[in-house]
Amino acid sequence: MSGLLIERPLPHGGRLVERVIEDKAVARKIWKSCNAVYEIKPTLHYETGVPVRNVYREIMSICYGFFSPVEGSMKQAEVERVLKERRLLNEWIFPYPLIFDISKDDLNKLGVEPGDRLGLTLKGKPFAILDIEEIYEIDPEELAYKTFGDPETNPEVVQQKFDKKHPGWVIYRSHQPWVLAGKYTIINPPKFKPPFDRFWFPPRKAREEFEKRGWRTVINHQTRNVPHVGHEFLMKCAAFTGDVEPCHGILVNAVIGVKRRGDYPDEAIVEAHEAVNKYGYIKPERHLVSIVLWDMRYGNPLESLLHGIIRQNMGCTHHMFGRDHAAVGEYYDKFATQILWTKGIPSFGFPAPPTDVPYGLKIRPQNMREFSYCPTCKEMAYSETCGHKREKLSGSFLRGMVAEGVQPPSIIMRPEVYKVVVKWWKQFGYPFCNEKYVINKEKELEVDLEDL
Amino acid sequence: MAYFMVVLLDDNRMAKLRGTGLEEHIKYMFGGELRLLEVEVNEELKDKILAEFETARVDSRGAITDVPVAFMRELFNQVVEKKSLGPEVVEGVLAKIAEIKEMAAKESEYLPPPEIQE
Ligand SMILES: [Zn+2]
Repeated sequence: MSGLLIERPLPHGGRLVERVIEDKAVARKIWKSCNAVYEIKPTLHYETGVPVRNVYREIMSICYGFFSPVEGSMKQAEVERVLKERRLLNEWIFPYPLIFDISKDDLNKLGVEPGDRLGLTLKGKPFAILDIEEIYEIDPEELAYKTFGDPETNPEVVQQKFDKKHPGWVIYRSHQPWVLAGKYTIINPPKFKPPFDRFWFPPRKAREEFEKRGWRTVINHQTRNVPHVGHEFLMKCAAFTGDVEPCHGILVNAVIGVKRRGDYPDEAIVEAHEAVNKYGYIKPERHLVSIVLWDMRYGNPLESLLHGIIRQNMGCTHHMFGRDHAAVGEYYDKFATQILWTKGIPSFGFPAPPTDVPYGLKIRPQNMREFSYCPTCKEMAYSETCGHKREKLSGSFLRGMVAEGVQPPSIIMRPEVYKVVVKWWKQFGYPFCNEKYVINKEKELEVDLEDL
Repeated sequence: MAYFMVVLLDDNRMAKLRGTGLEEHIKYMFGGELRLLEVEVNEELKDKILAEFETARVDSRGAITDVPVAFMRELFNQVVEKKSLGPEVVEGVLAKIAEIKEMAAKESEYLPPPEIQE
């Protein structure tokens, strides 16, 4: 019998990376040992100057272990290996290069060398340190192309050459050309502003929470959207996977980062998901909302791999993946994520699925299609089982309804979820992210820092 | 092809619709939970909408969509005012085109939130 039970997996790489100093006296001492200090700047779009990324989010996710076993800004050899085989130098699989990039001017001003310790401030306050092991130059455009693949090199899933219409490509293209590689350590843990504070479950805390709740099996729902009832059914029904019984828990993990115009505000996204459990559509005993900081790269199969890593590190046993997972445009095959997790993508270094290669993942994929209302069944029906004509709900139809100020019926969006949308609409003067929200968010960020 | 525009109805709008005699024309979706009216649009009005609003398009059923929110709000107001679903409704909207365009220009930065009960 015990062979049927799925156990909570170890973190990717075997142990959780935790590089956060909580002791202020120790932190002050470390801060004093810095050779130079640098204020973290947002990465600006290489053409328009609009913020597209903030490396602070990567530092947070690395130091709190979401990206275990990554410990810092990657060295040149590691970036090359990730681009070629999607593996770190220690063999563990990983999809994206993660680097601390600065301009030539800033490098000259800092005058740092390998072996130096660089202090990093955020919003003017000490935040973290970077112990520099290597300094090298990159070509951001080349990095951008190589990160996402191209139709010649990756014919299994890449359908179209990447360009500036792809927000992830833009992020890498907008990197500065000099890289400081080495481990990060947070020496002054930032405080999340409400409402984000109550959703902050870094991997150690998430695992402790699962233990406390008696959740052995947990399925993750990736989101950057306000949940409509189709999402709710996806979560409830996908949770029927598991082992000898349905998954004990559903973890909603919202990716919080740079926004695109037209997205829902992050504040509305997390509170709307919370409303799903607060008002009993899914019992709070079975449903937990959490966040991870990351500026989405929209790399479809590659992004799904990162999602798998993050949620395995948080202690999940299963992960839902939908069609067009974390995709934008038609750069990748619609089912690229499913291809990765069921067959593998050899040109990306996966002759087999990421769960079946050495130094791979333990989290199990659960590939899902969609739910929509069937007037014949008179219920939300699954696209692959209901044989009737269903009333499909397109995102733009729902957004149009919301923008018009018409409350969607509760079979489309729960009234409590809609109330959350309106609450933040009143706050920001807009139901979706407008230019003002996008710019302000990157100025204010999700956190504040105290003096050290 | 017959063209039309969809007017979505929530409880607020249903209340305003009472007494217009249009209730019997209400159509239902999602098991009766989504109520809507279809406003008739003739060829000439369709062309005018497409010419005036560059985002506007006609879908495969002949529904005109993706016009500014200000247009859609005024469309409902005109339905109530004219107590009709005929072409005079869209004519009434287009009579206020300058005002709608002015509001549409601000729509990318501000949209008035609906009044809902807390
Ligand atoms: Zn059916």
